[in-house]
Amino acid sequence: MKSGLSRSLLASLPWPKPPGGPRHSVCHFCDTLHESSPVAEGSAARCIRCGAVLYQNRPASLARASAFSLAALLLMGLVHVFPFLTMDAATLRRHLTLVGASTALMDEGAPILGVSIVLFTVIAPLVLAGGMLYVCLPLMFGRSAPLARHVAKWMYRSEPWNMVEVFLLGVLVSLLKLAKVAEVHFGLGFWAFAALMLCMAAAVAGIDREELWDRLEVAAK
Amino acid sequence: MNTPYPKAADHGLAACHTCGRVSPVTLGKCPRCGSHLHLRKPASIQNTLALMAAAAALYIPSHMLPIMTVSELGVVTTNTIIGGMMTFWRSGAYPIAIVIFTASILIPMLKIVALSWLCAAATGRVHPSPAALGKVYWFTELLGRWSMVDIFVVGILVSIVQLGNYMTITPGPGALAFAGVVMLTMFAAMSFEPRMLWDRLDELSSAPPSNDSATTPS
Repeated sequence: MKSGLSRSLLASLPWPKPPGGPRHSVCHFCDTLHESSPVAEGSAARCIRCGAVLYQNRPASLARASAFSLAALLLMGLVHVFPFLTMDAATLRRHLTLVGASTALMDEGAPILGVSIVLFTVIAPLVLAGGMLYVCLPLMFGRSAPLARHVAKWMYRSEPWNMVEVFLLGVLVSLLKLAKVAEVHFGLGFWAFAALMLCMAAAVAGIDREELWDRLEVAAK
Repeated sequence: MNTPYPKAADHGLAACHTCGRVSPVTLGKCPRCGSHLHLRKPASIQNTLALMAAAAALYIPSHMLPIMTVSELGVVTTNTIIGGMMTFWRSGAYPIAIVIFTASILIPMLKIVALSWLCAAATGRVHPSPAALGKVYWFTELLGRWSMVDIFVVGILVSIVQLGNYMTITPGPGALAFAGVVMLTMFAAMSFEPRMLWDRLDELSSAPPSNDSATTPS
């Protein structure tokens, strides 16, 4: 076991490489084999053949990924408490929330669509931001959380299914459709959701996939 | 293979699809994250083509069937995706009509065409340039998700427009078909193996140009 001092030293290093021999990196697009060498903070290593990004060394990666995913989790709370839109039509007032949109679909005979909305706008972002925080926060202290390997795997698996920004576009389109029928106002939930979109993007871009896995490997040793 | 660029597969090395670690493929499982190791995704072309054929088959009903039914003061009208777009266009909301056209009609169709073309390139039936391949692959990976916007609009409208006798909106069968199109094309893009495109390019550059017959990949 490592002492606390060497753990915090490791965590403060820009990008520690796991021990043991030369490391390779393979372009995911054209399969060109590279010897991976460290790059300066803020710059990226690109494939010599096709130019695709191999890995990037993000500045303050763990701190950024943890901070933005924590902010995203807090915003998720706001999103579920406050309505996205409020509509006044005749004497009725209707509110829109994420869970409301999916339960309405389930009640109206489209359960699969209702479940997919929850999956893409609630569960996938939650797994992504929650997983990121769970993995990155202990890494800041040079430790790997229990089952971090599995959490990181599921986190990256959920990434393509996170459709926060698409839902936001959907809210805007609906707003234009409804504007003819009734008076519609933005709620706090909408702004929280817009901020959530930015935080999710910043958290994912905050740490390179290879760096996260390298750090996990170093911390678990 | 005498290409100037070393390929991982020629050295028996595979990059893990999940964590990116490069290990000998003979290990079977990635020593870092435990995922299965492959030199190439297994049966990639078959899976991609099958998922895409299903998506193409659903594309037709998704535009023919109504995505939602609006009943306003007892008058029931059904809306299709194209009909909704035309309403925006006629009322002068051109930017939003273009957004709907792109997300719901153009992107799914282009994605099906682009993936078919990539499959044709990966099996050596067409010979495009690497730069074009990169752009088309990037397009299929990144843009497909935006098509979900129409499904979200249906969910939002069904949820918020429940005004008793005055106006109610219910989802239609077209919405389910369209969600199927989007998800199937996303799975099709994920099961496609871009490295096969480069394997084919290397074969072409190493083989004499007259020999056009397909050779089995290593």
